Amino acid sequence: MEERKGADPKHILAVQMTSIGAILLILGLTVLLLSLGSLRSMENFIRVCAIASDFSIILVGLFFAIGGIIRLRRVKKV
Amino acid sequence: MYADFIIIGMYLALMFVAGIFFSRNIKNTADYFLAARSAPWFWIMGAVWATNIGFLHGYLAHGGAAYEWGLIQANFEWFQGPFGYILTGIFFIAFYWRAGIYTVPHFLETRYGTGIRVIYSLAWIVIFIVTIAAELYLGGMFLKNILHIPFWPTVFVLTAVVGTYTLLGGLGAAIMMEFVQFIIMILGTMPLLFILLNLVGGFTGLKGVLIDQWGASLQYFTVLPDIHHPYGPGPWIIFGQCFVVTIGWCAGHQSMVQRNLGARSLYDAKLGYVVAAIPKTIGAFLYVVPMIFAPLIFARFGIFVEKADAAYGKLILNLLPSGMLGLFIAGLLSAGLSSISSVLNSSSTMVIKDIYERFMVKGKSDHHYFIAGRIATFGVIVASLLLVPVVLKVYLIMWLEQTLIAMALGPFMGVLVLGIFWRRTNTPGSLVGFLVGGAFAIFMQQGLGVHIFFQISWWSFVVTLITTIIVTRITKPPAEEKVEGITWESDFRAKLGEVLDQRAEKSGAKVEAIPKGKISRPSWYLNLKYWATAILLAQVLLLFFFG
Repeated sequence: MEERKGADPKHILAVQMTSIGAILLILGLTVLLLSLGSLRSMENFIRVCAIASDFSIILVGLFFAIGGIIRLRRVKKV
Repeated sequence: MYADFIIIGMYLALMFVAGIFFSRNIKNTADYFLAARSAPWFWIMGAVWATNIGFLHGYLAHGGAAYEWGLIQANFEWFQGPFGYILTGIFFIAFYWRAGIYTVPHFLETRYGTGIRVIYSLAWIVIFIVTIAAELYLGGMFLKNILHIPFWPTVFVLTAVVGTYTLLGGLGAAIMMEFVQFIIMILGTMPLLFILLNLVGGFTGLKGVLIDQWGASLQYFTVLPDIHHPYGPGPWIIFGQCFVVTIGWCAGHQSMVQRNLGARSLYDAKLGYVVAAIPKTIGAFLYVVPMIFAPLIFARFGIFVEKADAAYGKLILNLLPSGMLGLFIAGLLSAGLSSISSVLNSSSTMVIKDIYERFMVKGKSDHHYFIAGRIATFGVIVASLLLVPVVLKVYLIMWLEQTLIAMALGPFMGVLVLGIFWRRTNTPGSLVGFLVGGAFAIFMQQGLGVHIFFQISWWSFVVTLITTIIVTRITKPPAEEKVEGITWESDFRAKLGEVLDQRAEKSGAKVEAIPKGKISRPSWYLNLKYWATAILLAQVLLLFFFG
């Protein structure tokens, strides 16, 4: 049975990390921008919850995006 | 409200685009069905949990059942953690990995022969199609109730998004999206619990109001109720749920196992499964515990809930402000999409590997099966969409799906446990045991009218065990070379595979599909035993407080 050469697992992992980072970052920033108006009218406790939830998504996105880009560069060098 | 629509639209668009972008990296069947065996342990953790949690097994149906029956629903989260994930990670995954398989039925064939592989894979393909249809139904109904979007267009959009990235990117895309969905579910939906706690005055305050003022039963707040409980008697939760359903679910559900087969090493596969018990435990705080608060909130706001399945949607709609609601709905959609994509990917893997390549078209090129995999994925999507109108007519979807699963898991656990731990178990014994166990499960449900699926799975497991042992005893034992390497004794002697690898190399057995990573001792903070012990202790504490 003929077998095609598969993708490089390290490259796959780097692409996945970058994509995950990009999705989370874009989504987090969109939510932040769109909820800026309603944040003012929220009760204090709910506002804190909303901000904490959104910023944690942005933070995780940033972490994965940077990690993914570093890994992509390493894979390309090799 | 427009902000919420934009957030949800943006989220779906990002999934769609990222799926297409990722699919350019997929080149052969190993990439498509096993993600090029590239996934580290934390990918596995997120993907396994996201696969497990959907609309059906999670937010909407489990949340609805928690609203109706109380904290008992948390037994799925607080028993499946230690019993299912940890035991499967430690005891079963190594056997699948070392066998170099793509599917669970493939393992059954390696151990027992072709017959059981066909029966098991066909049963699961049917269950998977029902599951996808039910997930699509719940997703469509949820968005219809919350955002007043028409049902069918919603179902088609969800199918298009999840279908595109799964069809084009295979397991790699599915795992990647599942990790995104895992993050959004945890971080996006967790605030609900804190908001509710703040609103009601804590769990103790809630308990006081519901029991003292409303006359609610104490059983509403217990995870393990007494034997007379109509929904889940405690003893049956322990026997049926812990020993059969949860382990069978984790070790026998192709979607769950397939994520582990895509790991970059055996250690990553095992650790990923064990630590997935952490988000699994947290899951109860996302959709079970908040629903315990729901009766009080509904009474306070004067909300009427006609169906338990709709309770979760009504709760968040009335509690969360715009913007936060959009992110929350994205989190809920994540749950549904992750389950659909994993089941979709797994069912196409089974169709191709267990049926098409095994029996219909043998010896074709790898590219042929790769393309066939994509066509099979499309076929499963169409079949599931056609089934949605049928699911529409069934009120208790979760009950239907769980009963089907209970019928398959009991017999499966019987033959799997005997197959791994008793070398004498042979092909006729397993086949007869599996069929008799399955028939007994159907008889219990249809003939005896038993509707508690823990009972069905437990007794069908016992019947399978007894039948398999009897038939095995009166027939010939299996050939030594057939069982060597895939039973507990041999694997145990081989220190989970190291000696087995050497033996396989000498005998020329097919192990080349598994990449051999460096054998190194993991850092202390990645030690499997430490994590397993810590998680089990946390479970004991939870049961101590809520048991």
